Amino acid sequence: MPPSCCGCQSQYTHHHLVAFLLTFFSYVLLHASRKTFSNVKVSISAQWTPSIQNDSAAAFAPSQTWEKNRLFADEEEATLFLGALDTIFLFSYAVGLYVSGVIGDRLNLRYVLCFGLCGSAAVEFAFGTLTEWMHFYNVYLYCGLWVLNGLLQSAVWPCVVAVMGNWFGKSGRGFIFGLWSACASVGNILGAFLASSVLKYGYEYAFLVTSVVQFAGGVVVFFGLLTSPKEVGLCLESETGLRPVERDTDSHRPLMSDEEEEEDVEVCDGGYYSVQQHDEPPTEAPQAIGFCQAFCLPGVLPYSLAYACLKLVNYSFFFWLPFYLSNNYGWKEAQADRLSVWYDVGGIIGGTVQGLISDFLGKRSPVLALSLLLAMGALVGYSHSPNEQVANAALLATTGFFIGGPSNMISSAISADLGRQEALRGSQEALATVTGIVDGTGSIGAAGGQYLVSLIESRLGWVCVFYFFIVMTGGSILFITPLIFKEVGAMWRARQALNQQL
Amino acid sequence: MRAGCYQLKPAVVILIIYFCFYTSCQLTDLQVCNLCNGTVANGTAVAQFCASSSGRIDRRCCFKTDNASSSEYVIGLDLSNCSLTHVVDLQGASTALMIDLSLNPIVNISDSVFQGFIELNYIILPSNLVCPGGNASWKKVEVKEGNCLCEGQRNACNQTGQMSLNCPENSLCAPDGPGFFECNCADSYHGYKCLREGAFPTVQVFGPLGASTVLVSLVLWVTQRRKAKSL
Repeated sequence: MPPSCCGCQSQYTHHHLVAFLLTFFSYVLLHASRKTFSNVKVSISAQWTPSIQNDSAAAFAPSQTWEKNRLFADEEEATLFLGALDTIFLFSYAVGLYVSGVIGDRLNLRYVLCFGLCGSAAVEFAFGTLTEWMHFYNVYLYCGLWVLNGLLQSAVWPCVVAVMGNWFGKSGRGFIFGLWSACASVGNILGAFLASSVLKYGYEYAFLVTSVVQFAGGVVVFFGLLTSPKEVGLCLESETGLRPVERDTDSHRPLMSDEEEEEDVEVCDGGYYSVQQHDEPPTEAPQAIGFCQAFCLPGVLPYSLAYACLKLVNYSFFFWLPFYLSNNYGWKEAQADRLSVWYDVGGIIGGTVQGLISDFLGKRSPVLALSLLLAMGALVGYSHSPNEQVANAALLATTGFFIGGPSNMISSAISADLGRQEALRGSQEALATVTGIVDGTGSIGAAGGQYLVSLIESRLGWVCVFYFFIVMTGGSILFITPLIFKEVGAMWRARQALNQQL
Repeated sequence: MRAGCYQLKPAVVILIIYFCFYTSCQLTDLQVCNLCNGTVANGTAVAQFCASSSGRIDRRCCFKTDNASSSEYVIGLDLSNCSLTHVVDLQGASTALMIDLSLNPIVNISDSVFQGFIELNYIILPSNLVCPGGNASWKKVEVKEGNCLCEGQRNACNQTGQMSLNCPENSLCAPDGPGFFECNCADSYHGYKCLREGAFPTVQVFGPLGASTVLVSLVLWVTQRRKAKSL
C-alpha cells in the first residue's frame, strides 16, 4: 500500500482535537460516577439504618420516618458493607482490566467504549436510583450490580488509551498525554461537584444525574468518535503503536534509552492501533509476549507491588475522604464533598510537576522515592489536621501532591519504560500487557485495602487508618529500593564518566 | 318488565344490606365501647362531661359529631366497674378527652396504650396505678376516694412546635399523648429521617441536558463520522 498522505508529520486536525476531547470526557464521566458513590456514603448509610437514640430510650415516634429501614442494625455495619462494596468493585475492575485487552482487540473500539459507558450508566442507575424509588434494599442485589459495574467500567480505559494511541503517535506524545491523563482527577472534581449540588434532594438523585450524564456521553461518543485516523483517510505519523500511558503525566520519550528504531517508517499501513495485538505490519511480526513472561520481566514485579501499595492509599483517599471528613469533623456531607476536591487538585499538579522533573533529571525512581518520603510526612500532618476548613484543604492538597504524583508516574511513565526495556526490543505488545499487569495488580491491592480501611476504622478509629496508610507508603518505597539503587548508581557512574572525560 | 324487576330486586337487596352493614359497622367498629356491658351511668364524670359537650352516649362511649365531615368520634370513655385486669389496647378512643377506668382490678396498663391520645385531658384510674407517662406529664394529679385523677396533659416537647433537643435534625417535636412525642419533618424536608429537602427540578436539569446531547451528537456526526469508512 503506497504511503498515502504522508508529509503529515505532526499535523493535528480538528479530528485530533475531537478524539482527544471525547476520550478525555469519557474517562471524566466514568470517574465522576465512581466519585458519586463515595460522596454519598453518609446519606446511603443513613438510609439503610434505623435511628439510634443515645440513651436507649424509646425509639422516635412515626416509625415510618425513623425506624423502618433495617438493612443494617447500625452505621458501623453499614460502613463495613460499604467498604466491602468498594473492594468488590475494585476486584471486578481488576479482573475486567486483564480481560479487556483481549476483547477490545477483537471488536470495534467505538462499540466497546460506548457499550462500557452506557452499560455502566444503566447499572449505576439501577443501583442507586431504582432501588430507592422502589424502596427495595438488598445486600446481594447491591453486590451483584457493583460487580457488573466494575466489569463494564474496565472496558473503558483500554479503549480510550488505544484510541489516543491511534491518533497521537510518539512525537509530542509526552505533553499531550500529560495533559490528557488529568482526566481521572478532573472526573473526581466534577463528580464531587455534581453530587454535592444534588445531594439535598436525596442521594438517589445524585446517582440519577451522574448516570444520565454518563449515558449521554456514551451516545455522543457513539456518534462522534473516530477510533483511528484511518477511518477518515488520514495516516498515523509513526508506526510503533506504543501504548504510552495509563493514568496521568507525561510519560513521553522513554527515559531509559532511545529505542526509536522505527522512527523513519512513515508508511500508513495497518496503523489501526489495537489494545493488545498488532495484526499485520508486514515488516516485522512482533509477537505478543505471554502474560507470565511479561510478569517475569525485570522491574515489573517490584513496581507492581509498589503500585499496589500506593494505589491502595490513593484509592482509599478517593473512596473514603468525604465520609472521613463528615464523620470526624462533623461537617455536612455536601461541604465534605467540596473539600475532597483539593486532594485531586494536588494530585494533578503533583503528577505534572513530578513528571516534568523526572523528565528533566532523566531518572524516575529518585523522584519517586523523595516524593514518597515526603508523603509519609504529609500523612502524619494530615492526620493531625485542625478542625478548620482552610487548613484542612491546604494539608489535603499537599498530601495529594506527594501521593498522587508517584501514583500517576508509576502507572504511566514507568510502565512505558518497563514495556520498552532492552529485553524486549521490538516487541510492542509487552507494553499493553505490562501496563495491564501493573494496573491490575494495583487494583487488586487497592481492593484488598478498601475492606481493610473500613475494618480498621470501625475497630480502631481513624488515626490507625492513617498509620496504615503510612505503613503502606513505606512499603512501596521498600519495594522499589533495589531499583533506586540501580538508577542512582547509574546516574553516579554517568557523572563519573563525564567528569573523567573533562 | 318483569324480567327487569327481577333483576332490580337483588341489586336493591344488596344495596340495603350494604347500608345496614355500613352504618352498623360504624358503631360496632369501636370494640372499645363494648369492652364490657352496660352503658355510661348517670352522674359519673363522663356522663356530666358528655352532657355538657352535647355528645351522644352509646354503650360505654360518648360520641360527638364532627361538623365538617359529619362522622362521629369518641370524646369520652367510661370503663369503670368493668372487671378489667389488663388494659392492652384502647384503639378507637384515641380522640377521647376523658377516660374513666376506676373500680377495676387493673394489674397493669401497657406502656403504649395511650400513645396517640393527644386530646386526653382527664383520666381516672384506680389508685394503685400511676398516671400514664408519669406524674410529670400531667398538670394536676390528685388521689380522691380511692381513685387517681390525672388532669391536664402536658406537652411532652420542651417547647411546643420548636425544634427541640428531643428530635433529630430537620424535624419538629409534636405531642403524641401523655409522655409521648413524635418527630415530624420540618417544613420543606421529607422522606426517611427527613433527609431530603425540596423537589428535584427534573425539567430544568434534563431538558437542557437532552437538548445539548442531541445537538452535540449531531454536530459531531456531521463533522466527524459522516465520511468515515468502515475498517
